[in-house]
Amino acid sequence: MNDNGNILLASGLHKSFGRGAGKVHVLRGLDLQVRRGEFLAVMGSSGCGKSTLLHVLGLMTAADEGSVAIDGREVTTLCESSRNEIRRRNIGFVFQRFNLIGVLSGYDNILLSLKVRGLADGRDVRGVLEAMGVWHVARRKPAQMSMGEQQRVAAARALAARPELLLADEPTGSLDSANAQALLELLVEQNRRQGQTIVMITHSESVAQAATRVVHMKDGRILDTHA
Amino acid sequence: MVPLPLANLWHHKLRSSLTALGVAIGICMLVTLSGLSRGSVDEIADRWEAVDADLLVFPANASDNIAALSGGGLGEKDAQLVRQLAVAGHPAVEYVAPVYIHRGKIGSGANNIFGCAPQDLPRLTGGRRFLEGRVFDPDNNCECYLQHRIGQAGQGVLEISDEELAGNGGLEMVIDRRLARDARLKTGDKVHVLGRDFTVVGVMQEGGLARAFIPRATAQWLGELDRYTMFFVKLKDGVASQAALEALRPRRNLTGITIDQYRGMLMDMLGVMYIYTDTANAITLAVACLFILVSLYTMVIQRQREIAILKSMGARRRFILGGVLSESLIIAALGAAAGIGLSFPAAMGIEAFRPVLTVRITWGWIGVAAVSALAVGGLAAIYPAWKAMKIDVVEALTLE
Repeated sequence: MNDNGNILLASGLHKSFGRGAGKVHVLRGLDLQVRRGEFLAVMGSSGCGKSTLLHVLGLMTAADEGSVAIDGREVTTLCESSRNEIRRRNIGFVFQRFNLIGVLSGYDNILLSLKVRGLADGRDVRGVLEAMGVWHVARRKPAQMSMGEQQRVAAARALAARPELLLADEPTGSLDSANAQALLELLVEQNRRQGQTIVMITHSESVAQAATRVVHMKDGRILDTHA
Repeated sequence: MVPLPLANLWHHKLRSSLTALGVAIGICMLVTLSGLSRGSVDEIADRWEAVDADLLVFPANASDNIAALSGGGLGEKDAQLVRQLAVAGHPAVEYVAPVYIHRGKIGSGANNIFGCAPQDLPRLTGGRRFLEGRVFDPDNNCECYLQHRIGQAGQGVLEISDEELAGNGGLEMVIDRRLARDARLKTGDKVHVLGRDFTVVGVMQEGGLARAFIPRATAQWLGELDRYTMFFVKLKDGVASQAALEALRPRRNLTGITIDQYRGMLMDMLGVMYIYTDTANAITLAVACLFILVSLYTMVIQRQREIAILKSMGARRRFILGGVLSESLIIAALGAAAGIGLSFPAAMGIEAFRPVLTVRITWGWIGVAAVSALAVGGLAAIYPAWKAMKIDVVEALTLE
């Protein structure tokens, strides 16, 4: 597979919502390359299209125009089940609002994620929870955890399957500064030690500093890149 | 790991329980109503099959169905003809037990009141024993007295008072245990029926032909003298029932069936009742289906975010469909188990409240109920599962 070291390659992405006069162009010919093992922060003001970009890159919604290649494979034209399979095998998500399943314990949330991905056997759920510092809440349900604990369990859920690409949408957005810092340290460690590729959406300069590269978005396009 | 469908059901305990209860009521109704309708008919047929006889002979002009036959369509001459019935030139009949049937209300409902000779009672009840008391008019005094008075009267007007009848054992009655319970009667109690006050002189085990017996002479006196409703005929050993029925065919005013055929006749007449009970059951199951559907639909709507999370992880279509279907089937299975379990006390309650009714819960209907419940569970899951598949991941994940 000739991917020139890029795990993610997006080119000419267009995405709009609504119709007629109410139509809003969110992505306007966006190009983006993400190298394997990179920790990329995508910054921009509210409404600039950051989250939509993440949804398109995570194959949760389709672009109107343009192409996305993951690990050298063009995925734009794939059918729903094939896109599903790529999400299952290659992508992990961390959401701003954690999105843990409320009726399951922290441990079972992770186990379910592994089960969905067909990896329920042989993965060290305890090890992941310990690495994230939340083993002590493994038996608790999300409602019985603090926000910081919930986000760390959510990150553990995303990382347990060892996806090639971790997409994080404002992962610190609901956390206080201490918990936000702790989570960022975990992500940085994951990126440095495991070589985990991370694309993180944020509007915070201080959060973006944790990344190895920062890109700025405005009006649905990438403006510039800073290492 | 606790499977997600179980975790969800447990988390919404009240909703899950109420939905399962809805299914349980439907299944309980299915099992109990089927057991009641079919059990009652079977119990009547069983009682007739208990009679120590091979044939039933009745007027040819009676309808094809004799389950509701009463009155006096046969005479003494007919009884003689049947007694003399021959097959292949040999006498075929061991004995004939003529009966005169009235309909009368005792206890909670109308009953066939069989007038028979006291010596025929053991044959007609298949040897059921007396739990208390004795047979009515054991010396047949009533019949002798009535014949004597009829002879005296000649062509004149014959009047016989209740005191005369009672004094000669004519107003005595034997009932079975179920009727005794239903009407709260015991030996020595009075029963007002057929316009007279009868005295209960004996209570028998249930299971023999009828629930109430009176002297045949009284039944004829209150109906038509020297007339009978039907004959129970016991054939001699070795005489085939069908051959005897063939021998009966030339008697133009008589016809007959084997005792075994009575069950089919009863089904033909009362089988229409099954249409009503089965329709009621189908409606109940449809309501149970709607119960589950609404519950699952609500669940899917409430858990759009959860389903979106699963989809964002790349959950296969069958995983999500399987989750919805599993919840539905678990509710249906719990409802079925509870419904089947409830049907037993329900049956006991019905029989305790109305002792003349019979509820027979069979493995067959338990199986039908279980399969119906699972089918209902499967059907109810279709639309919610389809709805779950249609959920937009991005939209659902941004829901508050």
